Order: sequence, then C-alpha cells, then structure tokens
Amino acid sequence: MSLAVLIPAYNDVAPLARTLRALGERADEAGGVTVFLVDDGSEPAIDPEALPHANLRVVLARHPMNLGQGAALETARQLALREEPFDAYVTMDADGQHRAEDVLSLARAIADGADVAFGNRFLGDSNVPRMRAAILRAARVFEWAITGLRLADAHNGLRAFSGRALARIAIHQNRMAHATEIKQQVSRAGPLVVVEVPVTVRYTRESLAKGQTSLGALVIVRDLFLHYLFGEHE
Amino acid sequence: MNLAAVALLLLVFGLVVFDWITLRGKNRRALLLESAAFVGGAFFIAFPNRATALAHLVGIGRGVDFLLYPIVIWLVRESLLTRRRRHEDGERLTRLARAVAIAEARTLGDYSSNRAPPQSSGRSASTTT
Repeated sequence: MSLAVLIPAYNDVAPLARTLRALGERADEAGGVTVFLVDDGSEPAIDPEALPHANLRVVLARHPMNLGQGAALETARQLALREEPFDAYVTMDADGQHRAEDVLSLARAIADGADVAFGNRFLGDSNVPRMRAAILRAARVFEWAITGLRLADAHNGLRAFSGRALARIAIHQNRMAHATEIKQQVSRAGPLVVVEVPVTVRYTRESLAKGQTSLGALVIVRDLFLHYLFGEHE
Repeated sequence: MNLAAVALLLLVFGLVVFDWITLRGKNRRALLLESAAFVGGAFFIAFPNRATALAHLVGIGRGVDFLLYPIVIWLVRESLLTRRRRHEDGERLTRLARAVAIAEARTLGDYSSNRAPPQSSGRSASTTT
C-alpha cells in the first residue's frame, strides 16, 4: 500500500513535528508514506529543517499568505494528484489531536474497497468536551439536511479517499466550511462507497485553543450561504 | 431654515472640504462628481419644498421619500455587487496563492530504503533538495 497524507499547517510547529514523527514510525507498516504538507502562510514560515522526516517523504508547499484550512487542504489535494496515484489519501490536522494509527486504519478502509472513509470520534474513545459534542450533534442534523449524507460525526479532519474519489472533489471553501463542502461533494459525486471508521481524537489545550469555537458554527453557515450565492457551481 | 437643516448643510460642506483637502487633487473627477451630488443634496436640504413639489409630481407624499427610495434601492444593490466582487477577488487571490505554492513546492527526505520512490511523472511540482 502506498499512502499520501494531506496536512494543512498553520504556525504551531511542535505538534506538527510530533505528528510527522508518529507518521514516520508507522511508515513501513503503511508501505511508504508521502506527506503533502501545506504551510498556510505561517509567521514565521515553517522551517523545513525543523520538520522530522525520518522514514517519510515530505512535499512542502507554502501559501504566501494565510488563506484558511480549506484552502490549504485543496492545495495539498492538487499537489497529491499531480503525482503517480497512491492507494489511499488521508487528510489529518497538524495540531496533534489525530493519531497515526487512525490514519492507518482509515487507509486500510480504502484498501478494503471504500472510496471515502470518515473518521468518527463517537465510535472511538475520544474525550470530546460536552459543549463541543452538543454543537456537533446540531451540526450533524444540519449537514444531513444540506448534504444528504447521514454521518455520525459532523466535523472531523480525519478522512480518507481513494484516488478516484479525491479527483472528484474540489474544495472552494477556504475556511472551516470545507468540511461540509467535502460531504456535499462526496454525496453528489455519484456512486461512491462511503464508510465511517472509529477514531480517537485527543483534545489538548493547544488543539482546543486553535480549534473551532461555538461562534465558528455561525461563520460556517455564513460561508456556505455566501458560496451558495456567489460561488462557482459545477 | 431649521436647526437640523443648518447642521446637515454644515456636515455636507464640511465633508466636501475635508475630502478636497485630504485627497489633494487625487481622484479629481470622482471628487467633482461627489461634490455635485452633495450640492444637489444641499439644495433639497435648503429648499425642502422643492423636493416635495417634485415628489407630488410623481405621486409620492414627501420630498424626503422621493429622495430616499432611489437611494436605498441603489445602496442595497451596490452592497450586493460589492460583496460579489469581494468574493470573486478572494477566489482569484486563492488561485494565485495556490499556483505560487505549488510552483515553489519542495520535497524533503525520501521513502525508507526498502521502497522505491514513485516514478517521476515529469508533471510533479516538487524538486528534490
């Protein structure tokens, strides 16, 4: 199995370095890992020397300015699709809350025939804060309504795609609404095998500080509406 | 002329003078247009009966409404168009930034020795360092 891991990164290098080290330790198990890392305009720029890449191949690109996680993910997607096909493409966050073993189990789901695998925090034993869980429950209903995709976990950066699935989605939402947009596109892309895989997300102080706030949910709805009004629609 | 009219006239002429001074001859044509619009507005502030007379001609009760209706319509449309333009500019900027990022992408490290790297396709943006 050859594995591509797509990581959008902004500013915090320490958790990113831990994430890369953990991926490197599991790279042999995965049959080789290429990380498509997009520095989303960090200040200062992420220093390639500060990135542990033992056992990994890391393709590093840098946005000249901060555009948002969705934009960085789209850049990583385009970079990954320029290369020879990988067996699986996994997206993960750079803030240290995602585990390398979950990346592998998502990739395995693709190797077993799924086109899209979404990580599900509620099946694993994540320490989801109560307020966050309540918002996610509301988001689940909202997304079911607008994407037609009924998933147990609404917003989770851990997902895996087959090459043909990845080629069919294109992210226009530069910021946090990309998670909803990806689901919309998966649901519209035609017959794809979609599964959910239990994952464990570790909420730490730094991931919570960087993560979405309750207000973020409103921003997502606004961004979706603006794209609905003004965006490009294929 | 009542107190409100005097205050409005002072505000309008103050703004025109301020813009002429701070912009110092830049955008002279836009300033002329702005000044003309403000002089027109000042006329109706000074002589509200004229505005009301015009309003009655087209069947609107008050002179103020006669002026407000078209201005509100214009502003709502303007705000929508501005938002759309901002959205499009954002998308263009994103595409540009992405193109720069992809063109300058670099590759660190390589697969572990037991695995050959993928064949170079020639389309790859990465350069080995």
